[in-house]
Amino acid sequence: MESLFLQQVFNGIIVGSVYCLIAIGLTMIFGVMKIANFAHGDFSMLGAYFAIYFLLLISGWVGWIGALIIAGIGVGLIGLLVERFLFRPLLTRWTDIDIIMVSIGLFIFLENGARLIFGTAPKMIADPFHSQGINLLFFSTSMIRLLCFFFSVVMIIFLQMFLTKTKMGVAIRATSQNRNASLLMGININFIYSITFVVGSVLAGLGGVLYGTIFAVFPMMGAMPTLKAFAITILGGMGNIRGAIFGGFILGIAETLGGNYISMQYKNAIGFIIIILVLLIIPQGLFGGRQNK
Amino acid sequence: MNQKPLKFFATILGIILVLALPFIIQDRYFQHLLVLSGIFIILTSSWNLLAGFSGLLNLGHAAFYGIGGYASALLALKLGISPWIGLPLGGITSSIFGIFLGIPSFRLSGPYLAITTIGFSEILRLVSMNWVDLTRGSLGLYGIPPLTSIKLWNGMVIKFISEQNFYYVVIISASLILLIIKRLIDSEFGISLKSMREDEMGSESIGIDTSRYKLTVFMISAFLAGFAGALYAHYVRLISPEMLSLGETFTILTMVMIGGLGTLYGPVVGAVMLTFLSEGLRFLEDIVKLDIRFVIYGALLMVTIIFMRNGVVGLFRKKSQD
Repeated sequence: MESLFLQQVFNGIIVGSVYCLIAIGLTMIFGVMKIANFAHGDFSMLGAYFAIYFLLLISGWVGWIGALIIAGIGVGLIGLLVERFLFRPLLTRWTDIDIIMVSIGLFIFLENGARLIFGTAPKMIADPFHSQGINLLFFSTSMIRLLCFFFSVVMIIFLQMFLTKTKMGVAIRATSQNRNASLLMGININFIYSITFVVGSVLAGLGGVLYGTIFAVFPMMGAMPTLKAFAITILGGMGNIRGAIFGGFILGIAETLGGNYISMQYKNAIGFIIIILVLLIIPQGLFGGRQNK
Repeated sequence: MNQKPLKFFATILGIILVLALPFIIQDRYFQHLLVLSGIFIILTSSWNLLAGFSGLLNLGHAAFYGIGGYASALLALKLGISPWIGLPLGGITSSIFGIFLGIPSFRLSGPYLAITTIGFSEILRLVSMNWVDLTRGSLGLYGIPPLTSIKLWNGMVIKFISEQNFYYVVIISASLILLIIKRLIDSEFGISLKSMREDEMGSESIGIDTSRYKLTVFMISAFLAGFAGALYAHYVRLISPEMLSLGETFTILTMVMIGGLGTLYGPVVGAVMLTFLSEGLRFLEDIVKLDIRFVIYGALLMVTIIFMRNGVVGLFRKKSQD
């Protein structure tokens, strides 16, 4: 019983690490640009499809790593175009409703466009380890899940280093804290916006490959990661990257435990219940940061 | 120049045309589309009341629609309550759920409210899918009774199974609701809503109790959406949890944005246009064998927001307004 509980927590941490990656992208874009991107999960979906098609060319685990790189580049380019031609014209208007609506339009467009191009049948991202299992001290899991976990953790560490150690990263954080002051300090805001959106999209794309490796890939898969990423960012405080990391693990664990001990059918509701409770009781999120209001 | 008589005649002509439509075109499929447009007019107008006039971005509107439909259908199926009473009861049930979204809106705005409302509707959708004893789960409810026939004084019976007769129920309800909304937004209540949309703190400082207004407008909007849902349930007589899906909300908001957000006639134009456009595209789909309908919806929504923020209605009234 106790070992089952620990096993579930462990599974939750692995799934949570993937949620983290997607949620960090969302929270970065929101923090810096004030864009609540409802099409964020569809970038994950696109990333997963990039991976699937790349793995048709080169299989094995070289292919899997290559798929991640291709997915990152592909989704990054799409993000660049989307930021430049869709969101930037709207940023000067400063209305939430337009930005949310346009991202919903993008969501509808990408989801159904993907249905058109890729078909509705769920696909799997080929597992380079052929679903080989592994036993760690108390837990058992599959090799691929463990790899996904390590990859997410490495990416998160890279991102933290990028944001704290590089000049660009500092400029991004400065813009997030005070846009006008950054402008006065000679930071090219539009360039920072592009970089932020691209980095956020790349994270979503990479997260999508991992998400697709653990679960399945289908055109409508994008909505769930989007909503979960929103739950996580609200839990951790909007725009707060550290909050998103903790939030991701908390949601991952809460979902696996809830799915096992409470009800499998309502597993996906846990994220929403978290959103509503957090916003009503601790609107600033667990880790402070910007006030959610 | 006095344009009043001209406007009067145009209105009369319009009313006659709308009333005569099912007689002019006898095709049942066309009449079916007219009924659907009418239901969507009520639904989109109710959403516009929140997002357009009050600035409350509700992305869980399909939940209100679905609750109204399920409530009225279940009352008729399990308790044998007449659908005529079920229509307002469906609205009232929805309106009670409107309180649950109205209260969070006191403190939340913009994206936060949007996400909370999505959460609300997704939770309710999961309930409607998993409470199998009551809702039959994803199979949905079928065999919902149609609106009961009315016996006239001379022994004539009006049945509401045909599209033609149902059309009049829908069109009369929609017209009444539009009239009520017009009166509402021109009243002090509506002006307060609009001032709240533009500047919430400013409105509070001049003594507008924004919380009370938000709660009221949520309840009114939910009532109307629930009413539309009940109409739909007794018209199609088969409902499923799909009614509460995000896709349904997105259809509503696409219609409103294309028609014109925050205008009285925008939702009407959008609802009619998209209902017919969607059927037109269905024919096109049969020819090209591709599922292009929603791709076009998404593209239209993006193009509308970037290039014509005030929708189709905005194109015509640019000169008179602003």
